[in-house]
Amino acid sequence: MFKKYGRFKSSLIPGLLISFFLLTLAVFLFFTLYENSNTNESLFAVLSPRILKLLKFTVFQATLSTIFSILIGIVLAWSLSHQQKFPNRALLVALFSSSLVLPTIIVVLGLITILGRNGWLNHISLNLFNHSFEGFLYGLSGILIAHVYLNGSYAARSLLHSFESIPKEKYKLAKSLGFSTCKRFYYIEWPAIKTTVFSVSSIVFLLCFTSFAIVLILGGNPSYNTLEVAIYEAVKLDFDISFALELAFLQLSISVVLVFFTSSLKTDISNIKTGSEMIPWSEPFGAKIVQKFTIFIFGLFFLLPLLAIVVDGVGADYMKILSSSIFIKSFDTSIVIATLSSLITIFFTLLLSGAKRNFALKSRLADSKLASIFEILISFSGTLYLAIPSLVLGLGFFLLSQKFLAPQAFWATFALLSANVLMSLPFSLSIIYPAMLKTATRYDKLCFSLGIGGIKRFIYCEWPFLKESIGYVIALSFCLSLGDLGIISLFGSQDFSTLPWYLYGLMGSYKNSDASGVALILLSLVLGVFILLPKVFSRSRVA
Amino acid sequence: MLDIKDLTYRYKTQNQENIYNFSLNAKKGEIVGIVGASGNGKSTLLDLISGFLEPIEGDIVCDGTSLIGLSPQKRPMTILFQNYNLFEHLSVEKNIRLGIQGKIEQKKIYEILQLVGLDGYENKTAKTLSGGQQQRVALARSLLRDKPILLLDEPFTGLDFDTRMLMLKLVKDITKTKNLYTMMVTHELSDCDKIADKVYEVKNGKLTLL
Repeated sequence: MFKKYGRFKSSLIPGLLISFFLLTLAVFLFFTLYENSNTNESLFAVLSPRILKLLKFTVFQATLSTIFSILIGIVLAWSLSHQQKFPNRALLVALFSSSLVLPTIIVVLGLITILGRNGWLNHISLNLFNHSFEGFLYGLSGILIAHVYLNGSYAARSLLHSFESIPKEKYKLAKSLGFSTCKRFYYIEWPAIKTTVFSVSSIVFLLCFTSFAIVLILGGNPSYNTLEVAIYEAVKLDFDISFALELAFLQLSISVVLVFFTSSLKTDISNIKTGSEMIPWSEPFGAKIVQKFTIFIFGLFFLLPLLAIVVDGVGADYMKILSSSIFIKSFDTSIVIATLSSLITIFFTLLLSGAKRNFALKSRLADSKLASIFEILISFSGTLYLAIPSLVLGLGFFLLSQKFLAPQAFWATFALLSANVLMSLPFSLSIIYPAMLKTATRYDKLCFSLGIGGIKRFIYCEWPFLKESIGYVIALSFCLSLGDLGIISLFGSQDFSTLPWYLYGLMGSYKNSDASGVALILLSLVLGVFILLPKVFSRSRVA
Repeated sequence: MLDIKDLTYRYKTQNQENIYNFSLNAKKGEIVGIVGASGNGKSTLLDLISGFLEPIEGDIVCDGTSLIGLSPQKRPMTILFQNYNLFEHLSVEKNIRLGIQGKIEQKKIYEILQLVGLDGYENKTAKTLSGGQQQRVALARSLLRDKPILLLDEPFTGLDFDTRMLMLKLVKDITKTKNLYTMMVTHELSDCDKIADKVYEVKNGKLTLL
């Protein structure tokens, strides 16, 4: 058996080392938390009424957010797949794709500008009907709206690809059998999308379960706190580390179980372009109206907050913003950390995918006895972030920074880099791994028989097929890192700040004009990198 | 002499276990045809010979040397697959050079392309060629690799009649002039009739000389 493993050692060893490094980091942080918790109580014993209340609300809001996001995602993807000629459809789909990388603080700021107490909607309502919506954006409703905004569009983008992958012959069959729209959905479309629905649901639930920035800003009061926000408050506001640790353990236990059961589910967030061939007949009138209305309403729901950021941001005093030393420091820190994070992410992703595909291919090691164990191990190490939410990760590093004295910038940088890489890995693996598996399926025999391996194989056989996805992953990882407001909330200070943390500070001190300007800079940076970087990569050539 | 002795492979599916057991031999300059219906083990046999699958028993001996345990690239053979013989995004010349260890003179590439009827094609990208032309490039590379065993895994499926005849003639000529051991897996018995010196049928995981 080991002789067979030896044949693939050049791709196995680096990937397995990265996998073990990530798992060791997780175990090390776990023991740091455990060591500091100073408690021998079992998990059930720490479930005090206060913690139980937090847990109940965390699960409740995550469940509701998931249900709404998935329902909206299905209806929107279905509508888009049947309305290929909807005006600016391609632009809308591109914007839905970008929802994954939009900094949550920007989304929250945009939603406040539209739906907040002094928002556009309230102004219109007061002028026309003399009715105020007051604070409906703060509390459960606000949390749900923001989660649906981010995750509904992500679900729609993932499901659209599934809808468009349905062979057109199946639609022809449905048409020839005289299926109604509902019957067609039940017999043709649902079977094709249900796997993606379940996998996207599990991802969305985990994202909402560990959501931080949205709940922090829109939660309003402690009765709408989730575990993540309660950890933040225990560390930063109450200085109650032992309570934070109890919460962290609970959060960690639940997340690990959830991730373990969902890590084998497949997700599709690839950068594969949509735009399948059109079905050559028109939809029934009723269905057409529903589809167009859905796209229009959700397009508006998605675009308005971004538009609000642009409109408010245009009037900001940029001379003042750009000359602020804290802004410059935050900007530099953000760019350096995002660049490093994206490079480390793509490096880890290529090595992990390279090792993992050995266990998926019959011509390699798929038949070996340990194949499934190694495959699960690599998948699990790549989805650790979902199991170790950023605040728990941050708490671990926070405790380490208390134990091992070093400049605060050192621990903050290390913590941010670790969190950003772990945060990007689940997405980057789901993009790069299928592409690498495809090239191996196609060219393995040829490469093995011709003795093409190592760097030569990467340059001639992998890069031409991966370059676009690599560009997309670097852009995705850069943008995710740029917009994160998780760990920095524990380490952020006047001396060490990132753009989202700086923006959060401006919002908290009601410097609305400056906040709008910084938000527009952040939004432009994120969208610019996300749209342009993959294009640069797709144009590069191999001789 | 190429001698395949009791080469045994076991393959489990959810419902059943398939056991393959192959024995055959070939002389230098001989073309061995292997025919059989789909799923009977034709490609498994080639995968075992080329080292993509490891047998549980048996031996492959080429000119007195056992090939068992050697990785595909270390085996003295070159293979023509049904698909994906070339990197479509690379030029014809690059595709040929990639398969050769060490340096190779430009003149030799021109000569080999001329031999397969593709002179002047060296700078064309592989994806711009027709299926038949792509297979001829792959054959040209196989010849330059200068290995004693040539394995053909249904390489002419899907080609038009004229190109197919041309390719079959090329394989026959090359086998004879270079004194190769050539094994051709195909589901077309007529191809074997045209060029094979002997033909085996694969049935239920075993070889029978026809």
